[in-house]
Amino acid sequence: MSLAAEAFVSQMAAAEPWPENATLYQPLSDEQILLSDNASSLAVQAYLKMCALPVRVSCRANAEFMSPSGKVPFIHVGNQVVSELGPIVQFTKAKGHSLSEGLDDVQRAEMKAYMELVNNMLLTAELYIQWCDDSTAGEISRPRYSSPYSWPLSHILAYQKQWEVRRKMNAIGWAGKSLEQVYEDVNECCQALSQRLGTQLYFFNKQPTELDALVFGHIFTILTTRLTSDALAERVKGFSNLLSFCKRIEQTFFEEADQSSASSLHSKGPSLL
Amino acid sequence: MGTVHARSLDPLPMQGRDLGVNHDDMEGMETEQETKQEILENRNIVVQHVNIEGLGRTKEDYLGHEISDVFNAKNLIDVMKRSHDARMKLLRLGCFKDVEVLIDVSEGADALPNGLDVTFEVTELKRMTGSYNTMVGNNEGSMVLGLKLPNALGRGEKATFQFSYGTKETSYGLSFFKPQPGNFERNLTLNLYKVTGQFPWSSLKETDRGVSTELNFPLWMTTHTLKWEGVWRELGCLARSASFAVREESGHSLKSSLSHTMAIDTRNSAILPRRGALLRINQELAGYTGGDASFLKEDVELQLNRPFLFGSVLSASLWGGMLMPIGGKPSSIADRFYLGGPTSVRGFGMYSIGPQSEGDYLGGEAYWAGGLHLYTPLPFRPGRGGFGDLFRTHFFLNAGNLCNLNYGEGPRAHLQKMAECIRWSYGAGLVLRLGNIARLELNYCIPMGVQNGDRICDGVQFGAGIRFL
Repeated sequence: MSLAAEAFVSQMAAAEPWPENATLYQPLSDEQILLSDNASSLAVQAYLKMCALPVRVSCRANAEFMSPSGKVPFIHVGNQVVSELGPIVQFTKAKGHSLSEGLDDVQRAEMKAYMELVNNMLLTAELYIQWCDDSTAGEISRPRYSSPYSWPLSHILAYQKQWEVRRKMNAIGWAGKSLEQVYEDVNECCQALSQRLGTQLYFFNKQPTELDALVFGHIFTILTTRLTSDALAERVKGFSNLLSFCKRIEQTFFEEADQSSASSLHSKGPSLL
Repeated sequence: MGTVHARSLDPLPMQGRDLGVNHDDMEGMETEQETKQEILENRNIVVQHVNIEGLGRTKEDYLGHEISDVFNAKNLIDVMKRSHDARMKLLRLGCFKDVEVLIDVSEGADALPNGLDVTFEVTELKRMTGSYNTMVGNNEGSMVLGLKLPNALGRGEKATFQFSYGTKETSYGLSFFKPQPGNFERNLTLNLYKVTGQFPWSSLKETDRGVSTELNFPLWMTTHTLKWEGVWRELGCLARSASFAVREESGHSLKSSLSHTMAIDTRNSAILPRRGALLRINQELAGYTGGDASFLKEDVELQLNRPFLFGSVLSASLWGGMLMPIGGKPSSIADRFYLGGPTSVRGFGMYSIGPQSEGDYLGGEAYWAGGLHLYTPLPFRPGRGGFGDLFRTHFFLNAGNLCNLNYGEGPRAHLQKMAECIRWSYGAGLVLRLGNIARLELNYCIPMGVQNGDRICDGVQFGAGIRFL
């Protein structure tokens, strides 16, 4: 399909209302999903809940390969497939659902900058710890990542993934960092987020935005995921306003949604409360 | 006396490298020698020595079986016949570029008065041959490098390597072939490969990396192949617009399968046969030896050919297959059957019959297809005896069906399902034989029994195929 035709189709799709059967795809939540993917998936789920758009979560062992960008999570809405938070935010905006509508240009730029900070620091740190720390990679990441496959494919795919991430780390200059330096980066990132949040309910006053969803996804997942050591979670726990921010979002968007409709599936798993 | 005849005879049947034309030579030789035959034919001789000259890396023990029959010759004509057969056998081994035969009277201390020595003068193939091609087409260019090592270890082993580097895909294949000494038809092949296929009718892209071992052996009139294959398959969508049903199949899987193929082929030609029959039964069991895919697959192919009036040929063929998933997991899109196209059920688009989702064909777990053909030579027979013999006109009637079965139901329900919604077509066209491996067809087709979702090709359809209905 040509680009113009594709654009036309997405325009048409935008005109359609949000369907009831929208589905979010992610890797198997119990035995396969890794910290970074879980964080991204939770961020998208939180975002859609903030927009009050219903979505069913479906776990697939091949979610990563089903995704058009090769990254999870992705949503299947009508006959459209959209992956990752950024494009999903654009997509919902086209359908008339936006959380950042009320912000002025300065605030919007600030929001984008903080989102980039989270993606560049927190997400990259998660990937580093998962695949570049030998004990985490060997004990958690590789066995979990390859759990749906049989030998020898499981080994091939796990090492292929590890090699791919390490090559990316090389390219962005993280390969030479020590684990301690990465923890320090996480600390700095949380420091920045904590200062921006201050005593507000959300990053931009009283209304949640996609930045809140993204920060919640990552911080919550870091706090609730068991790794080989607690070092990462410990760093984050030092910021009490971020902790209460996560609890607040969990209460407001996940607990309430669960109480109001029993049918709504939430795959968030552990809880901070 | 013997010297004169033998020396003058030996070059006669032994010219050329061609494997298939020497019968005529033999006949010609016999008539030529008729005057001397009375003396020679009744005269008993003994083959004392058989020598092979010109051997480099080929091991002599490997050739023993091929030439041992020459010792059984009782007279000179017999010696020549058997030497000729031995020469054919030697050439078939794929070790020699050329083989010449020399028959001479025995010399030396232990020479008998009626003793003969037969000498095979062989020219070995080069240790390594290479080829280089470039191909351009379909928005893609590629460079193909091939290397062949015939008779690599001296006992008929053949190693081949092919590497294709393209702007979009790279693929390679490495194979090693080893025949059993003295029984060339019984052989073992090892393969290592990576191939990439694009299937636009399913919006599917498949990359296979695999190893396989294959054992071939003849048994009475049949040939058998036992194969184990371990293949890592990577499926992906060909385009972003691929249907979600195809998207769901994306990802990696490992198939480890054992398969057995039995074939009886009595046809006189594989592509445009005049007479004879072909029966091929193939069964594949995946999952028993590990891997993610578990199924049992059966596939049958039958073809009958009969000469008919005025040099025409009547041909009937029947295909059928069934895929049974084992262990509750649904079958993969890569394992299912596909039907339709210019050399199967004509008049329908390539693999465009049966279950589909948003225009992407998903294949089926059971199928059958049958065809009835009348092949005739070209009208007025232009180019007879030459180029024109590569062509045939044909009239055909094809039918078939492809669907999914519910294995909870009995065989009656299955038969009923296979008999429902039969697609069929008829028409006429031209067939061109390409070597002895493929054919091109240009047909005018009228598809019938078209079901919702099938893609048809009403009118002129052009296509090539190795396997044809």
